[in-house]
Amino acid sequence: MLKISPQNFTDLAKYLKTPLGKISTSNTLFTRTLNNSTSKGAMNIIFALLKDSNSNLRPTNKLIEIEIRQWLEYILIYVGNASNSQHTQNILADLNDFLKVKTYLVGNAFTIADALLYYVLFNVMTNLSNIDKEKYINVSRWFDNIQQDSTLRQNYNIVDFSTNYLASIVPAKH
Amino acid sequence: MAAGTLYTYPENFRAAKALIAAQYSKADVKVASNFVFGETNKSPEFQKKFPGGKVPAFEGNDGKLLQDSNAIAYYVSNNQLKGQNEFDKAQILQWIGFAEGEVLPAGCAWVFPILGIIKNSPSSQEAFQRAKNDMKTALTILNSHLLTRTYLVGERITLADIVVACNLLNPYKYVLDPEYRTPFTNVNRWFLTLVNQPQFKAVLGDVALCGKAAQVGAQAGAGEGKKKKDEKKQEKKEKPKKEQPKKEKEPEEELDAADAALALEPKSKDPFESLPKGTFNFDDFKRCYSNEDESKSIPYFWEKFDPENNSIWYGEYKYSEELSKVFMSCNLITGMFQRLDKMRKQAFASVCLFGEDNNSTISGIWIWRGQELAFTLSPDWQIDYEVYDWKKLDPKSEETKKLVQQYLSWSGTDKDGRKFNQGKIFK
Repeated sequence: MLKISPQNFTDLAKYLKTPLGKISTSNTLFTRTLNNSTSKGAMNIIFALLKDSNSNLRPTNKLIEIEIRQWLEYILIYVGNASNSQHTQNILADLNDFLKVKTYLVGNAFTIADALLYYVLFNVMTNLSNIDKEKYINVSRWFDNIQQDSTLRQNYNIVDFSTNYLASIVPAKH
Repeated sequence: MAAGTLYTYPENFRAAKALIAAQYSKADVKVASNFVFGETNKSPEFQKKFPGGKVPAFEGNDGKLLQDSNAIAYYVSNNQLKGQNEFDKAQILQWIGFAEGEVLPAGCAWVFPILGIIKNSPSSQEAFQRAKNDMKTALTILNSHLLTRTYLVGERITLADIVVACNLLNPYKYVLDPEYRTPFTNVNRWFLTLVNQPQFKAVLGDVALCGKAAQVGAQAGAGEGKKKKDEKKQEKKEKPKKEQPKKEKEPEEELDAADAALALEPKSKDPFESLPKGTFNFDDFKRCYSNEDESKSIPYFWEKFDPENNSIWYGEYKYSEELSKVFMSCNLITGMFQRLDKMRKQAFASVCLFGEDNNSTISGIWIWRGQELAFTLSPDWQIDYEVYDWKKLDPKSEETKKLVQQYLSWSGTDKDGRKFNQGKIFK
């Protein structure tokens, strides 16, 4: 089961090296309070964090920003509400299809959308069977690339994808 | 950090490796601005530094010299590009070997005949077919490697990616059409990600993947058209400067492929061909005019002249007030003759300069096939005629006879009484 949790915001804030403030939840609405100013809604909180940070992840142009919003929305609404394993499998299948032709979610570089998806998917990827890791090989490849960044990974463990190498037909043997 | 100058011709995919690596490492690598391929690298001082004269070649600000694109790229790389540990380094070396041994030969044998860099011959045709298969083998290896990996070595961009991508640059641009490349999804994804990195873009610009595979010959023809245009432009530019009339311009040294294409071009038609030939033989008259005194050649002209199919014209230079030195005005006339070279066979003219320095006029008598102004028959002839006033003369009138007599015998004065100074014959 996948769910957006306050921990996701804590991780993002830490990754962006910017103070998070206080996150409160009423029903499904997240509210961030920092220095007497508040932002409501997950999307607004993420963009507020980006704005506060000095990160070079701040979108460089409008088109990229819009695409990032689209992906954040997808992650927050669909990925974050996959209430059973069938839903999760469907989402992994969708992502796998998309990542077949893309290295990152938006454009040709890492964005905040990749970061959020990493945190949201972490538990699922950790618990994925070796067979499923190979089944969703593009998601695995993407995840393996993303998780190499130790600032992003923080205290999370590296998920092992080495069995994929064995399964693939690569002539360079490992 | 390595800093220095890179010698290369523009858009050299080999040089791009070093330039992209330098973008990542922030190494200060400049491209030599005055490099002329085939000249600079053939000069003794260049060959002294770089035996063989191959490019790209690198000269460090500290005087260190390097040849071979991969060696230069390695030298200007940072540690991330070179590999983080011994095994990564070895793997990078492995992929560079793959790029040079598998990708490049197939790519060159496929792309070069299309770009016209090598001649299209039966033996290259054979290599061409083999190259398509070899490329498939190489891409299959890459594709399965990139199924589970984002980049070739480690999880970040290294020199391996730069070198393999650069060797695939021309194939992706010119021959790997959508149908051919579709099975290689992972390679496509990897390649597109790379060429869209800011560091790659800074060197390569926007890379558009091949839409439809170029065929041998197509590109060469297109190149030829452009070349011709360029030549024409150049010629035009040269014209006003031309001081001395020269014999036929020396044909410029050209690429073999361009030569071959030139040979295939249909011979340009004679613009006079559409007009009836008539009985007047220009060659016979010219021979007579050259060998005999005017007292004989002018009556000969009137005897043979065929007014049905030929016409006589009077042309007067419009801007006589701009004429200064006599020799310059003469060059103006001979320059025009030269540009009308192809008209010679069906035309004759005697153009005279009257007066002296800073006070002169140019006018002449022209005879050509047809009843209309001949200059409109060919775009090549339209450079000069507009600066002359043209008047068609009635061959029957006495006045015309007098004018012809005057201009062909280089005598008399212009209408304002300036004395005959010099004459030029177009024959």
